[in-house]
Amino acid sequence: MATHLYKLKIKSFLASLLLLTTLLLFLFTLSLSIGPAMLDPREVFKAIFLKPFNPSVERGEVHVIAMLRLSRALAAIFCGASLALAGLVMQTITRNPLADPYIFGLSSTALTAVALGVILAPNLMVHKVYVVLVSFLGAMTGYILTLLLSKLGGGSSLAMVLAGIAIASLFSGVSHILLYIVQQVVKTPYVYMLMGSAATVLQRDLQFLAFPTMLLAVLTLAFFKPLNAYLYGDEYAKQLGFSPTLVRDLAAFVAALLTAITISFVGIVGFVGLAAPHIARFLVGSDHKFSTPITMLVGALITLLADIVVKLVSMFAGAVGELPLGVVTAVIGAPFLAYLMIKKVRE
Amino acid sequence: MRIIVEGLEVWYNSTQALRNVTFEVREGEMTYVIGPNGAGKSTLLKTIASIVKPKVGAIYIDGKLLSRLSPRELGKIVAYVDPQISKTIPSTVFEFLLTARYPHQNTLGFSMSHQDLEVVENVSKQLNIDHLLSRRLDQLSSGELQRVLIARALVQRPRVLLLDEPSAFLDLRYRLEILDYIKMVAESNRIVCIVAIHDLYLASLYADKVMVINNGEIVAVGTPEEVLKEDILERVYRVKISLLSINGKRVVIPLEPIERIGLR
Repeated sequence: MATHLYKLKIKSFLASLLLLTTLLLFLFTLSLSIGPAMLDPREVFKAIFLKPFNPSVERGEVHVIAMLRLSRALAAIFCGASLALAGLVMQTITRNPLADPYIFGLSSTALTAVALGVILAPNLMVHKVYVVLVSFLGAMTGYILTLLLSKLGGGSSLAMVLAGIAIASLFSGVSHILLYIVQQVVKTPYVYMLMGSAATVLQRDLQFLAFPTMLLAVLTLAFFKPLNAYLYGDEYAKQLGFSPTLVRDLAAFVAALLTAITISFVGIVGFVGLAAPHIARFLVGSDHKFSTPITMLVGALITLLADIVVKLVSMFAGAVGELPLGVVTAVIGAPFLAYLMIKKVRE
Repeated sequence: MRIIVEGLEVWYNSTQALRNVTFEVREGEMTYVIGPNGAGKSTLLKTIASIVKPKVGAIYIDGKLLSRLSPRELGKIVAYVDPQISKTIPSTVFEFLLTARYPHQNTLGFSMSHQDLEVVENVSKQLNIDHLLSRRLDQLSSGELQRVLIARALVQRPRVLLLDEPSAFLDLRYRLEILDYIKMVAESNRIVCIVAIHDLYLASLYADKVMVINNGEIVAVGTPEEVLKEDILERVYRVKISLLSINGKRVVIPLEPIERIGLR
């Protein structure tokens, strides 16, 4: 029974992995094909994926256009993956299925820090590394403030959620005000910085997004045992030889860094961090060994899909500018979550 | 395997939970700890499991000082059955039981060995929970959860097993069967087993040694026959009792409280 169950778990993991990767490749190709100049997805697929293996294919205009759209698509994928991972980690360390980086105030404090940075030292903020750093400091401050406030309120998980909402609301207000001022400095409407957009990411900055995300994902995966033990309580983790405070601090650090990275690249994109871990758990269960990669893939998929919708809407609606990414992730992610919720309650 | 507890004192902030607790437990000897609510039964178990740190005193496991053991070594040796675990993040019984093998594995290792899965399989069959393995923890009945929690401790294959109220939520059949099974496991695997329990009849059935705790102090230690006496129990529980003898075992019947404080 146990051996059979374990095999079944591995099977469902591999099946989900395969399915999600295929979907991601498909959407990725689609995303590269969509734009003011529509390309044939089959041509794009050939130019991007088959080119390295077959040098005889020459670099056509399809290749050139697709490469121009590459950074935007990759930014959406990595931001989605990193937000989803941050959400998973936050849900685990707070043992609260409602947790996500946004609810716990990490996003708004990170954004506040970035806005402050742009106002105080605009020439520094040209370099993405500094933006990531400042944003990380902001996210860490947000986490510590939430933790302190919840300790003052008794330390229960309810206190934690309420403290998070208080911090998030406060700093979301502050960041609105600051970003309104920032408009003067960067000359872009502040809704973009607030609600997220993958359109502004530059190819040379992608490394600061991709490598830290991969590194933190590997780190999370390496600690799957302490994280699994932590799910069942502090005393339980202690019994198995893992220090609960160490797990919590380390994981909070990872979540804050992940949040900071996405904030500094695409701004606040809500909902991915909440929905992706739930969808992953539905697919492969709560074992972090399996749920970590699946969560990241789901997050990448939702965000990439949302970005495609953003592009399509802006092309066909013909309005000024583009829809914020966060709006679309919410519209796409919420029905998914609602479906899972109904299905689980019925069980 | 033997545990020696010497002069244990535990404080929760300014309230003293255990005072000068000294005793010795040997392997295969079922020790039952009884006493009224708040007497310090759970605190004693948690201190031996190193979850609570004592202010004064020492615990030796096989001559080794407990506080000198690394958390990892401790996880291999001691298992404490906590009556409460967090189940807010949905996970299955199977996932929960697998975590109990972690102390015996490499922390960074990804594979789950066949042997580990076999341990889970055997224990879940013995405790009759193998049909629950793919169920979610938050969908179990209290009795089913209790069996899962005990199974977890056994999956950990400890040398010292500490059970906190194992009979809670269990029906008549499982109370007897599970305590019987634990006694068998304790004897065949030569482990030290300490059980904190409220049901005095179960203590008289399965205990080799009964320890009575009141106000954080050991009041009496001995065989069930020596300890389950009217004067000791009436003094500790403040209840008038009558003792019956059935099949040579002592059955404690509570008659009425000696004084009715606060519940008038």
